[in-house]
Amino acid sequence: MNQALQDLFSSGTPAAGDVDAFLSSTQFPLVDGSDVTFVFRGAADEVFLRCFISGLDAAQPFQALGESDLWVTTIELPRGSRIEYKFEVVRNGHRELITDPLNGVLAKDPFGANSVCQGYGYERPVWTLEQEHVRRGSLEEMSVQSTAFGDTRSVRIYVPARFRRNRRYPLLVAHDGSDYLHYSSLKTVLDNLIHALEIPAMIVALTDSPDRLTEYAGDERHAVFLADELLPAVAERYPLVDEPRSRGLLGASFGGVASLHAAWRSPGLFGRLLLQSGSYAFSDIGRHQRGAIFDPVVSFMNDFYAQPGRPSDRIYVSCGIYESLIYENRSLVPRLQAQGIDVRFEEARDAHNWENWRDRLRNGLSWLFPGPLWMVYD
Amino acid sequence: MTPMPMPRVLLGPQRPTVNLAEAIRAADIAEGPVALISAGWQEAEGDIADVQDAVGLSLEDLGLYRRAESLLSADPTLAASYRARQDRLIEQQRLYRLRLKPLAQAARAVWRWQGDTDMIAAEKRHAIAQLRALDRHHLNRTESIHRESDLQYPAESNDRLQQHIAEIRDVLSRCRAVILTGGNVAVLLNRARLFDIGRLIAHLPVIGWSAGAMVLAERIVLFHDRTPQGRREAEVLGTGLGLARGCIVLPDAAHRLRGGDRPRIATFSRRFAPDNCYTLDSGSMLRLDASEIVAAQSVRRLHNDGRLVPVLPR
Repeated sequence: MNQALQDLFSSGTPAAGDVDAFLSSTQFPLVDGSDVTFVFRGAADEVFLRCFISGLDAAQPFQALGESDLWVTTIELPRGSRIEYKFEVVRNGHRELITDPLNGVLAKDPFGANSVCQGYGYERPVWTLEQEHVRRGSLEEMSVQSTAFGDTRSVRIYVPARFRRNRRYPLLVAHDGSDYLHYSSLKTVLDNLIHALEIPAMIVALTDSPDRLTEYAGDERHAVFLADELLPAVAERYPLVDEPRSRGLLGASFGGVASLHAAWRSPGLFGRLLLQSGSYAFSDIGRHQRGAIFDPVVSFMNDFYAQPGRPSDRIYVSCGIYESLIYENRSLVPRLQAQGIDVRFEEARDAHNWENWRDRLRNGLSWLFPGPLWMVYD
Repeated sequence: MTPMPMPRVLLGPQRPTVNLAEAIRAADIAEGPVALISAGWQEAEGDIADVQDAVGLSLEDLGLYRRAESLLSADPTLAASYRARQDRLIEQQRLYRLRLKPLAQAARAVWRWQGDTDMIAAEKRHAIAQLRALDRHHLNRTESIHRESDLQYPAESNDRLQQHIAEIRDVLSRCRAVILTGGNVAVLLNRARLFDIGRLIAHLPVIGWSAGAMVLAERIVLFHDRTPQGRREAEVLGTGLGLARGCIVLPDAAHRLRGGDRPRIATFSRRFAPDNCYTLDSGSMLRLDASEIVAAQSVRRLHNDGRLVPVLPR
């Protein structure tokens, strides 16, 4: 048990005031090297830790400490890890998922928020934080009429600071663009990396889908929308470098599948792919076990593995090692390399979440789109 | 009678230590105006208040970046030829890089090899010779691209360009010296080349810092060991203005160069011999008359044995 907790209980169950003092003066969860102890205080029949980590039990039970209303559980977390979690509190047969009341660090996502445990050695990268001296790009709105989807799509465009019409810019198309902005600080990351000359000033088209689980799952309409509708519309409005090496796709989870699929359908168009925790479910034999929503993904991935071609010239792939998708991502890499594609694969001690994807952006973007740092000597 | 060699003063970054005023004194520049080339700053060209404060003499920015932008937007033929030249140079650099990486890695591996010293020495010599041959080939190719482009679109036949050159010459005729700022070294070099700056300023004392110092040398070598992707192999960019002879300039080496990596420093030094490779950090100053060092301050030379050794004036 954590030493501070042992001290608190050294003379038996502490008084409520002592527990109050301990909780208010301590940062939670308790990190002792690779041991992380989670603490919950309150009346409950049972408490579980749910941390969405492949490899750990889905629910880690807490133990009540003495006669107190404190509950604790300890897990081992390797150095540099970052995990997201919730507490499952059971009272009178009712189960409730809550964020950790003792931990103010939250990661938001489209489904709400999770508590964040930053294991020993993890530090949020400074380039993900807004910095006063950095010039900021802007966001513009545009609409793209889509014949493929039979509707009109709103797209936000990141325009770099000091944008000039007489220059030409690389283009990156981001799937789930709004989520990348809100949960992965994409605009701040772009501002910082451009300012540090680690990536070139670039245009980023931030797309969203009203039905991502369908449209991002190897949907022909989406590939047509990107190649034949979005690209020409953006090129008409902004000065772009017209070559594959300056044209890329970014996506996480199903967005990774959508990126790979769109590039596969139009080889030679997107020279750069940044794929994060892609949901590349496939089946070698028998049926896959991931549920019906993955059926079109499996269909595409099986087709892709049968005839991979050369969807892109350079592909950055990242995945958290606490994700069940690590198997599929590791399987993808050698298959891409076998096609002569320049592939960089990064595994992180993190899971399937937007902060994992945020923390990998620097490595991915600066490798796919190297900035003028090399040329600038101030 | 042989003309007196003009002073060339090479400086490191002007942050955090500003030693521009000291350089002005070292170059015996007593009065202005002084011409400034800040094209390496691109859109920020001409934003020279800080330089003005440091120099204390009147400055005239030659506006090379702005002139080039205006020239190219007014002359589609020149713009097309300029773009074609740049595209070919970029492609040449990519091809060079493809071949350079395995050669440089092999050279370092040989340097780290343990075994028969005589046998290893022979391989080291050959590994360096291969690198030098590739650098030489690349330099020849870039010069060929420039020559072919110059022949195809002779600068002399472009009236607008000649008008700008005449204006620059006129400004320079009033100036006592020239200062080149840091910034994007490729942009600075391209603009300097476009307006024939090497020839126009050769008769004046010249001070350059960082990128401005790099372009004054005969060869420009790009380097950075600490990019987000880690170390990159040092690359020859092309021929500089050739006003500071016998040296390769490495600005901000304290941050950009892994000075403790002796095999790397040793191969770097031998690869670019007979030129000497000098580090120029903030506060550094190297004054050359012709190719002779007459003053040095906080400058280190890359030694063949892999050390960085302080430079003392001869």
